[in-house]
Order: sequence, then C-alpha cells, then structure tokens
Amino acid sequence: MLSLINITLSTKAHGKPVELLRNVSFTLQRGQVLGLVGESGAGKSMIGKLISGIPPEGFEVSRGRILFDDLDLMALNREQWRSLLGRRIAYIPQEPLTALNPVMTIGQTFDEHLMLLGIPGQERAAMILKQLESVHLPNVKDMVQRYPHQLSGGQCQRVLIAMAYAANPSLIIADEPTTALDVVSQARVLSLLREQQRIHETAVILITHDLRLAAHVCDHIAVLYAGEQIEYGPAREVLRAPRHPYTKALHEATPDVQGPQRVLAQLKGQMPGVSLLASMTGCRFAPRCPGRNDACEHGQSELRETAAGHWVRCASACEIRPMPALQATAGESTALPWSAPGGQPEAAPIVELKNVMLRYTAKRGWFGRNKVENRAVDDFSLQIQPGEFVGIVGESGSGKSSVARLIVGTEQPSSGEVIINGIDRRQAGRDVMHLVREQVQMIFQDPHSALNPRRSVMQLLTQAYEIDHHGAGATLRPRQEQARLLLQDVGLPPDCLERFPTQLSGGQKQRVNIGRALCMMPRLLVADEIVSGLDVSVQAQILNLLLELNREHGIGLLLISHDLSVVRYLCSRVLVMQAGKVVEQGRTEDVFANPQHAYTRLLLEAVPPADASVQWPPVAAAA
Amino acid sequence: MTNVTADMSNPPPTSALPAIASRGHGGPSTLQRLAQQPRVVIGGGIVLAILLVAIFAPWLAPHDPLGQDLLHMLAPPMWMEGGSADFPLGTDSLGRCVLSRVLFGARVALLVALCSALGAMIVGSTLAIVAGYFGGKIDRLICYIVDLWMSFPPVVLSLILLVGLGTGVDKVILAVVLVDWTRFCRVVRADVLVTRQRDYVNAARLMGFSHLRTMLREVLPAVLPLMITLFSIEMGVATIVEATLSFIGLSVPPEMTTWGQMLADGRGDIRTALWCMLVPVFAIILTVLGCNLLGDGLRVALDPRLRSRGE
Repeated sequence: MLSLINITLSTKAHGKPVELLRNVSFTLQRGQVLGLVGESGAGKSMIGKLISGIPPEGFEVSRGRILFDDLDLMALNREQWRSLLGRRIAYIPQEPLTALNPVMTIGQTFDEHLMLLGIPGQERAAMILKQLESVHLPNVKDMVQRYPHQLSGGQCQRVLIAMAYAANPSLIIADEPTTALDVVSQARVLSLLREQQRIHETAVILITHDLRLAAHVCDHIAVLYAGEQIEYGPAREVLRAPRHPYTKALHEATPDVQGPQRVLAQLKGQMPGVSLLASMTGCRFAPRCPGRNDACEHGQSELRETAAGHWVRCASACEIRPMPALQATAGESTALPWSAPGGQPEAAPIVELKNVMLRYTAKRGWFGRNKVENRAVDDFSLQIQPGEFVGIVGESGSGKSSVARLIVGTEQPSSGEVIINGIDRRQAGRDVMHLVREQVQMIFQDPHSALNPRRSVMQLLTQAYEIDHHGAGATLRPRQEQARLLLQDVGLPPDCLERFPTQLSGGQKQRVNIGRALCMMPRLLVADEIVSGLDVSVQAQILNLLLELNREHGIGLLLISHDLSVVRYLCSRVLVMQAGKVVEQGRTEDVFANPQHAYTRLLLEAVPPADASVQWPPVAAAA
Repeated sequence: MTNVTADMSNPPPTSALPAIASRGHGGPSTLQRLAQQPRVVIGGGIVLAILLVAIFAPWLAPHDPLGQDLLHMLAPPMWMEGGSADFPLGTDSLGRCVLSRVLFGARVALLVALCSALGAMIVGSTLAIVAGYFGGKIDRLICYIVDLWMSFPPVVLSLILLVGLGTGVDKVILAVVLVDWTRFCRVVRADVLVTRQRDYVNAARLMGFSHLRTMLREVLPAVLPLMITLFSIEMGVATIVEATLSFIGLSVPPEMTTWGQMLADGRGDIRTALWCMLVPVFAIILTVLGCNLLGDGLRVALDPRLRSRGE
C-alpha cells in the first residue's frame, strides 16, 4: 500500500552534498504496523515528515520514489500532496500537550479538525462524542468542555489518536507518540493504538527509539543508523535474533527488568553528524562496529536477505559469525562483576528522612476561603547508607521528585525531619550549612538546562570553588588541576576543558553535569531522571560510569526514575511510590521478582519485555 | 539531524572534532557577528558620528552658538538665494548660526541620552533581577510599583518632576530615569523569570552560592544582551523626551543650546524661515534612527534564537 523505493534525501553541508537518507526502501501492507527504530539523528523522523509531505527546508529527494496506494507521491505537486494529509495520511505528534491549541477546548479543536475534513456542522457534535468514546476516554461530554492543560498527557494523546482516526485514514504516522508519557500511560496508549489499528485496518508507521517496544507493537521493523536502513525484518525476529551489529548493540545496551542481570555492552563513539557523513565512504556504522574489517571501510553494502524476509545491510558477514567484542560481554552476561552497590549497612546513614510530610495548600475563591490540601509526600521515611544505591520508582505525580527536592533542600518539609550527615537540615545554622550542602549534590534531569551556556567546561566542573567560604582558595591553578581530575573521572577527553556546553553532545553534557556534582566529593548524589533524555547507547555509558564512580570513590546514589530496568541495573534497594506514599520497598531483586503490591505489578507489566515471545502490551492495560 | 547523540568513554575520534567545531567554536565571535549586521554598522556609525560631533563641536562650529549677528537675521542656507558661506545652514531670528547651534545641541542631546539610558538601565534592571529572582511577595510588590508608575502619563509625570526640581541637565536626566526605568524593569524581569527556571541557577544555589553571587554570575550574564539592546533604544527615547522638554522650555537654562529650544525658537518664523525648524528636526530624526537601528541590530546579533535562524 505504501512503498518507498531507494529514497535518498540530500542536502548540502559546507558546500559538499550529503546524503542524509540513503537508499531507504520498505513496503507497508494494509493493516500492518511498521516500526522505524533508531537513536536521535538516525533520520527516522525525517522519513515520517517526508511521507506526510512536509520535508524540512533545504533538503531534496535526489533519488527514489514513494508510492502510496496507486499514487506516485513524488509526481504530485505540494498542494495535492498536502490534501492527502489528514484525510488519507494522518500524523500523531510526539508532544501531545503542545500539539493541542491551549486556548481551545478539546471539543473546539476536534470540531475544527472535522470542519477541515468537510463534515457537515450538524453531524460534528455527535461524531466527536463517538470518536472520543472509541478511544476509551471517560466522561466524554465533560471532556469536550475541557482545555488541554486540564488533561493528562496520556489523555491528550488519546484525543489526538481519536482525531487521527476521525477521517478513517489508510496510513497513520506516529512520531514517538509515547516518549513524553510515563510507562503506564505508554502501555495504555500503545494498546489503544494497536486496537484502533485493528478495527480500522489502518497501516501505521511507528517511529520510536525503543527497539523492544517496537518489536512488541509492530509487525515489521526497520532499523536506521545515520540515515541508512541497516536492518529490516519481522518484528519479533529482529528482537529475537538481531543480525546487524548495531541492532545487537542496541539490544544489549538496554537493561532488563527481569531475568539474569548482565553488564550493559556499550558502543564507543557517537553517531556521525551531518558534516561528517559527506566524507564517509564505507559503511556508516564501521567506525563504531566491534566486528569491522577492511571491507567495511570501503564501498557501500547492499541490503541482503539472510533469512525469510529478514534483510541486513552489512558488507562483512559479521551478522553470521559470532561477533568478537559483543560476544565477550555476552559471555559474562550471566553474572555481574559487581552487585548493585549496597553500601555499608553498619555505618551511620548519610541521609535520614523521618516521617516526612510535604503538603501544598491551594487557596481557591475570594481571599482563599476554600483551602484544598494536597499531599505531595505523605509520611515518608528513608535511610541511605554511605555508598548505597537506592532507587525510587513511580509514575509522574507520585511525589518522587518532591523527595529529591526535600533532600537537597529546595523544598522544606511541612512536618518530619530531614537529617543529613547527622545534622537536621532545619536546625543547621549558617556555620554548618556548607557541611550539609557538600554531602549531598544533585544531578539534574536536563543537562542542557543545567549547564550555564556562558561558562566553559572548566568553569562548570569547578564552579563550587567560587563559593564564598572558599574565598581566596579560588585561584586558577588548583581549579585547573581539579577540573582535569574530574574530567578523567567522568571519562571526557582533556581537550573538552576549554569548550562550552553548546559544543558538547547530550551524553557529554550529562557527564559534565555529573562531574560538577562530584567537585566537592559529596557522599551522596541525588539523580532525578538523569538518563531519560538520552539515547540507549549513551544511557548505558552513563549507567556504567555511575557504577564506576561508586567503586572508585564510594559515592552513594539516590536514583529517581520511571524506568524500572535502569533502577534494577543500578540499585540494591528500591522504593515504589504512588500518590506520595511508599507502597512497597525492599531489595530490588526481591521486589522485581516477586512484587507484592498491585501497583508494583502494574508498573512492571508496563515495561516492554526483552523476550520476544511474551505478549505485550498487556491486554489489561487497555481498560 | 544535527542532534549528535552519543559521546563516549574514549575521546571522540579526531575526525569528529571538526564536525563539532564547525557547529560551535568555529562560529563567528560576538564582534564578528556584530560586524555582519548591517543595522549595527549603520546605526553604530550614526551614533558614533554624532558622538564625535558633540565632542568636537567647539572646533567644528564656525560661530559661537549664542553669538548674535543682528545684521544677518533669518539668513537662508548657503544654497538658497541670498544665502552666504558664512552661515552654511542660515541663521535664526536673532542672527545665530543654525549649523553651530545644531552641532552644540548634540552635546546636550547625547549627554542626556547616555546618562539617562544608563540610569534607567541600572535602576530598572536591578529591580527586575531582584523581582524575577526572588519571586513571590517581592516580585508582586515591585510589579505593583511598576504598574502604578506606568499609569501616570509620562509627559505629565516629567513635567511635574521638572517643575518641582527646577531646570538643568542633571534634572532632565533624573526626570527621564524616573519616567523610563519601568520599561527596563518590565522587559528584563520577563527574561529573568525564564532564566530563573533554568536548572543551572538552581544548581548554583545548591552548590552554596549566595543569592547575590547567583544573581551576578548566573542570571545577569544571561539578561545582559537584552539590557544592551534596551539601552540603545532608550537612548533614542531619551533624545525625544529631552527635545520635548526643552521645546516647552522646561529643560535647561536658555544659555545652553538644545535641539528642542531651536524648534521652539524657530516656531515663530515657520512660514518665512523653515530651515530654523527643519535642521534640528533632521538632527533628532537621525539620532533616534541611529539608536533604534543599533538596538534592533544588537537584538538580532545577541539573541541566540534569532542568530541560529539566520545562519
């Protein structure tokens, strides 16, 4: 129904032509789901935009054809192509909240959409209600009156799915539809998408960075790397037996939520940027490939069929031979060379929270007469030993980030005690405050926002030297020494010292971010979702870095995450939070292997499993 | 596609460095970027030229700006019939050289423009940073003051101030500062609020930076480009306010030459000697145009968001 034949998208970088997408070909049958998988920069969104007729400026299709039903899309003019959009091709965007107009109610937005589709006015109201009901939204009559900000992210995404299906399109392009959602909503939205797709017999292109998720939701998967389609095959087959070294690496860089623990294999280097592509002659993955040989550096390889319907682009036969580097880590995979850091149980706890409450009172009405109390953290107690890795999991709004803010002191508890290094934070005077502060440092979620763009890496890493009581100590020499040591600690090359944050990649920024927190050698790092914005292979590198820092410096970590597999990989102890309360806690292995609370089970089920044969998303999540 | 993902445990291959460099480091420096903006070059050129004229007015002017030549009252400019090279732009009703007066007028105009823009920037931005940084009650208090302040018509406010204070250049500067600091406060506060939300400001606090240090080291550098831009626009505004005030005779003592006074003096002879008004009007237009061009160019050159679109 849709086929791309040797699509090549070109642009010019520094005067040289660059093929941003190279020979991408696939076909999609009616009623099938195709997953486009790749890390950021792979060109997956570019394909989605291209098919919907909105190629980014400055790019042109230099080769290839796109056939949609019996239309040759490349032969259409822009107007004709655009007229397909919304009617026969629908697009589900990544950020559900920003995709809906904030000043219009759901009903108005939907009505406008239907009007553009040419549906007569008197039928629209009934149709909106019917469509919203079909995506399992509660109280649809009430829902049409609401504004987007009054809905959760998952609900917004449902509205967008309903709008996409309103025209009964034959193709839907979903660009990372669940990336902005937490695990539970993700599972629900995906099972809804799958259900709608079956009812309407629509073809769906699902763009995602998550190989496992794609394997479970899609029929076929195309894996992209630096604009090249490197693997294409039946979804479960690609996950069960990946052929291309990159697909294997992606698979092995993702931590598991069940089964034996293994060391995450990490890829070296990074995906080549646009300007680098022009000078690459051979396989674009070759510089990072653990199984490369001379042949890979020259000449492009063609897609070859290795098994029934399973195509791979790899010049050497490394998809058949066991791969040296990755195989080695796979051999170790039965046991970790370390256990998740448990710390020193007999030592005095570095952080102790005793029956902490955090309440917000919202005042409504004139002069705040109606007070509404909201408990963000409810009767929370926690002890963290030196060198221990503790995880807190829960969906968004469960109060886990509030716990982090309480510990670092940006939020004061309404009642209860926060004791750090034996000092009650509230009673700490000015003279001992720095003792409290330097024990606990925070790593921020968004490395981009956490680094002042006007400071160099050297200044960022040793920013703590500018604190008042160091005063005269802030001379240049010891600062530079310290910056060099920190740079080594976080595994950055020494020439980074003089660079500015805009000159670093996302992973490098996160390393600087960690390095800055390490500057005064704290005993506990508080990390709020520090890997959620990173690509899988970078995530593996950061996780391994944190374990290494623990071994070298005995640093403890409080990891706050919605990603259960990451928590399982790092933490020896885990707390599960729901609506401000701890519903389950214990050793990570015990909790994950044998969850007691229904909520823990719900969270665990929502994670796409590594095993291709397991049915996912769970049917129950649809309800 | 410029979203380079991974970095890694090893130094990136050397071949990757030019790619990164071309994105950030190899880019033009701030000065080069300023030089590439035609608006900055033209606007800056105009402002600089007026500045030089103001400084060197005693040497450039052919006559004493106050010297009356009663034999040559209302002499037309030299290219008109009856004009002479003695008075290139003619004379006014008291026989004073218009060219000399307009050159000397630039002194007061620029002095007022620079000092009052600087004053308004310091007062407005300080309050804005304090309001935006601390938020809450302090923010609300400062915003109420700004709202209240802005509800006075600016001309009436400065009139009241000048009537109360008396005349003199320093009084004019004070009046402009007191009227116009609110503009800085409003605009800069919005930018501070955005910066305040960035995690790096939080990080500095958690590291133990004092409030003052955080404001100076983390918040101020982020809003400085905006302040510079506003400063140059404010210079234009101050020029007009000063001309207005001297037009109604409330600005400086009569023995100082200003463009506003020239307008007021020339008003009586508008039908017979139009040049008496046209020359100072042209000077005011040129100054304000220069300041606005410079401000607009600076805004584009210093704003990273507009910059990336341009490049």
